Amino acid sequence: MHKKSVLFSSLLVWILGSGLATTSMADEASAEKVKQLIEAADEARKQAASVNGEWRDTGKMIKKAKELLKKGDFVAAAKLANKAAKQGHLGYEQAMSQKDLKMPSYLHYE
Amino acid sequence: MKQLFRQLTAMVISCCFITAAQATTPEEDLKAFQNFYKKRFPNVETTDYINGAYSIDPVGRENWEAIEEFPPYEPFIDEGQAIWEKPFANGKTFKDCFPDGPALGGKYPRWEKEKSMVMTLPLALNNCLEANGEKPMKYKKGPINDILSYIAFESRGQITNVEIPTDDPGALAAYESGKKFYYTRRGQLNFACAHCHLQNAGMILRTEILSPALGHTTHFPVYRSKWGTVGTLHRRFTGCNKQVRAKPFKAHGEEYRNLEYFLTYMSNGLPLNGPGARK
Repeated sequence: MHKKSVLFSSLLVWILGSGLATTSMADEASAEKVKQLIEAADEARKQAASVNGEWRDTGKMIKKAKELLKKGDFVAAAKLANKAAKQGHLGYEQAMSQKDLKMPSYLHYE
Repeated sequence: MKQLFRQLTAMVISCCFITAAQATTPEEDLKAFQNFYKKRFPNVETTDYINGAYSIDPVGRENWEAIEEFPPYEPFIDEGQAIWEKPFANGKTFKDCFPDGPALGGKYPRWEKEKSMVMTLPLALNNCLEANGEKPMKYKKGPINDILSYIAFESRGQITNVEIPTDDPGALAAYESGKKFYYTRRGQLNFACAHCHLQNAGMILRTEILSPALGHTTHFPVYRSKWGTVGTLHRRFTGCNKQVRAKPFKAHGEEYRNLEYFLTYMSNGLPLNGPGARK
């Protein structure tokens, strides 16, 4: 009886321990991944800013993503970081597309 | 090899011709800009554009004229006069920097050859403060609006006459940079300044009539009911950029200074009537 209970307790401890370790490792992996996403978003923002193409909310999104990361809400943080990165890329592309002055056709020069 | 060189040379020359053919002078820009409004609103007198959206919105104009009977910007003018006359810690006043007095509105923005930059009035005021050991004013809110209101009031009736000196290519480059800014799409909404205030001037955006760009610079600073106070032109630039979801630039930084240079040039010939009152 005693042997059985020791075996059962050991098994329980092992299951719980390994479960917690797995969760912790998964958290670390997610945190690292989200951190990378945020860094990539910030790079994209900086690239857009370098050509005066940064959008209004990109920086705010990155800031919010960092806060969510701290709170451990990895899914929301990753989603926001991806959105910010997309804005950064689009802002850069937009500025590049506007590199040359294009006068509107409705202005008539005589 | 020679043939390739010849072809490349021909390409470069033809590209230059294309660029030259597309380039327009500030005078041509001004004419095209002002003619656009003449065709769009044939019944509006050119000088009436100094009244912004009220030049094309009769109902709004009635309300505005009622507001102008007791102008909300009046206390700011009085406060501005006090600031103008108050001696700095070293005993000097703004008059020492601007000996011709407070009617300065028509002199700015202007190209300063020595500094190789567009000088705006708020920047000149802050330069004066700093040269006298005083703390510069913030560019969007606070006392700068008082002194600008006073200067604008004293400058009423002066004619906008921005000059682009031909002896310094930097001046034309600054003008071109401001022009480029004006016609450049930016922000998440992908709008240029021109989309709202040139192409769609007079159209209704939500509940507001989009004001014509012609005359935009004549009535600043402006008391806006939305702000509940007087605000500067660069504060308005900031607001416009935010509205199209673009990150705004620094007030009186190079981008907005050049924009002001271009935009004010486009209103050449119009009288100054600041400070104004707007919704």
